[in-house]
Amino acid sequence: MDPLILKETEDTPEIIFNPEEGIFKISKISVPEDAFQFYEPILGWLRDYEKNPNPETIVNFDLEYVNTASSKQLIQIMLLLEKIAMKSKVTIKWFYEAIDEDMQSLGERYNKLVKVNFEFIEV
Amino acid sequence: MFENNLFDKAFNLFSRVEKQDFEYVYRGYFTHNITKKILVLADTNIQKAVARSTIQKRIYYIMVEGLQNITRHQDEVDYETDKYPGIFAIQKRKKKYFVTTGNLVLNDKKASLKEKIAKINSLEKDELKKFHQEVLRTGVMSDKGGAGLGLIEMARKSGNKLVSSFELVNDEYSYFYLQTQIPTLNEDQEDEDDQDASMRRYLISIKKLHLSLNIENILLYFNGFFNQENLLSLLAIIKGRMNMSITTIRLSNVMVEMIQNIIKHGEQVDENMEGVPGIFFLSQQEENFMLTSGNFIKQGPKEVIEKRLQFVNGMTNEELSEYYDQILLDFELGDSKRTGLGFSDLRIKSGRPLVYHFHPVEDNNYFYILQTEVTNKKK
Repeated sequence: MDPLILKETEDTPEIIFNPEEGIFKISKISVPEDAFQFYEPILGWLRDYEKNPNPETIVNFDLEYVNTASSKQLIQIMLLLEKIAMKSKVTIKWFYEAIDEDMQSLGERYNKLVKVNFEFIEV
Repeated sequence: MFENNLFDKAFNLFSRVEKQDFEYVYRGYFTHNITKKILVLADTNIQKAVARSTIQKRIYYIMVEGLQNITRHQDEVDYETDKYPGIFAIQKRKKKYFVTTGNLVLNDKKASLKEKIAKINSLEKDELKKFHQEVLRTGVMSDKGGAGLGLIEMARKSGNKLVSSFELVNDEYSYFYLQTQIPTLNEDQEDEDDQDASMRRYLISIKKLHLSLNIENILLYFNGFFNQENLLSLLAIIKGRMNMSITTIRLSNVMVEMIQNIIKHGEQVDENMEGVPGIFFLSQQEENFMLTSGNFIKQGPKEVIEKRLQFVNGMTNEELSEYYDQILLDFELGDSKRTGLGFSDLRIKSGRPLVYHFHPVEDNNYFYILQTEVTNKKK
């Protein structure tokens, strides 16, 4: 399947979903006005991927800022990963800056709500 | 629940600016990075309002010179800038733009500054051009890094006299205000605003504004149209202003939620403008930062928002956290307009009830003020 690559903008994150190379990454900043519109194609891509996932999928969430509108879309991504985890191995790596306890607690919240293996990485 | 006094101040500040106009003030330490972001923010707003690119360029140029003046003086009086921070303001009033800078200068520099400005103001357009060349060649006027040239250029680009004023601070220092007025129409050169007294009126107005900003210790003040572009510039300014810390991150996050709240729910008022009119300012009292937003809102949304605020404020931290989880998973709410998480998020980051007030204005509308407090946390 074709990879999904989106370059970062001033208010949307960089997205790299490349099954062939086994790289899945959402990074930088996510504060768009219309998060729904931005994440819809990403969710669409994941729905396709869910049909035939790699034996192992490691998704890196390495975000600096997330607005509440995006946080709701991120959990949709994770719920899809939860589905994928039912038929293959899935790990969510949640990166956060050592000083950023808010980002850490957002990750912990997701970990509580979603049945996917989480790894927390302080940077 | 909102302190009346603060509410009045916010509404008075907002009321300074009329429809179609804007004003933006940065007060504090000026770094290279912040200067850059201020220029981006100002330029975005000018682009929206001025179709004529030559005027836009001129305003930009004047802003650059003004900001460089501030940083130059800042270096000279470095140890005092904490107490008396510099100020940069860009305003649009009807058909004119005003760029104003304020900064501390040594008292013994006053005379020579006054002299330079008087000399520049005494010259007509052609004489000013000649004088510019002369100073360029000989460099007589400037005692430090081209300050004199900057003043000449500001006068030339604006096509107007420079307006200035000094406020004595103590034995050593004074506050030096410098204002440049840029008309967007050539015809304006004939209007009564060219009268000396009238020109000074605008400088007095910004000095008054500066006084209120000082009293409330407001570090950043934006009054105009809110859109995503402006939000991103303001965000960059906050990030550039402080060291990376949990407080900076929290302030940035809170600001994003508050301003996107204005953009999504505020009354647009004027369809021709790309954004929602409102006010936002960041102030600091000791270890607490206050973020205040204000915008118009209709009766219907007012009632919804008021209920949500009461609801969110009424919860304990545990209840709030549970509620947050619940909303996070409630996708019925998850359209592009509403996430239902904004207030809860602000309340969690603030760690205390949100402060708000709805002030009735004409046509069953309200002016809605929201304040979130963030405590400076050292980790």
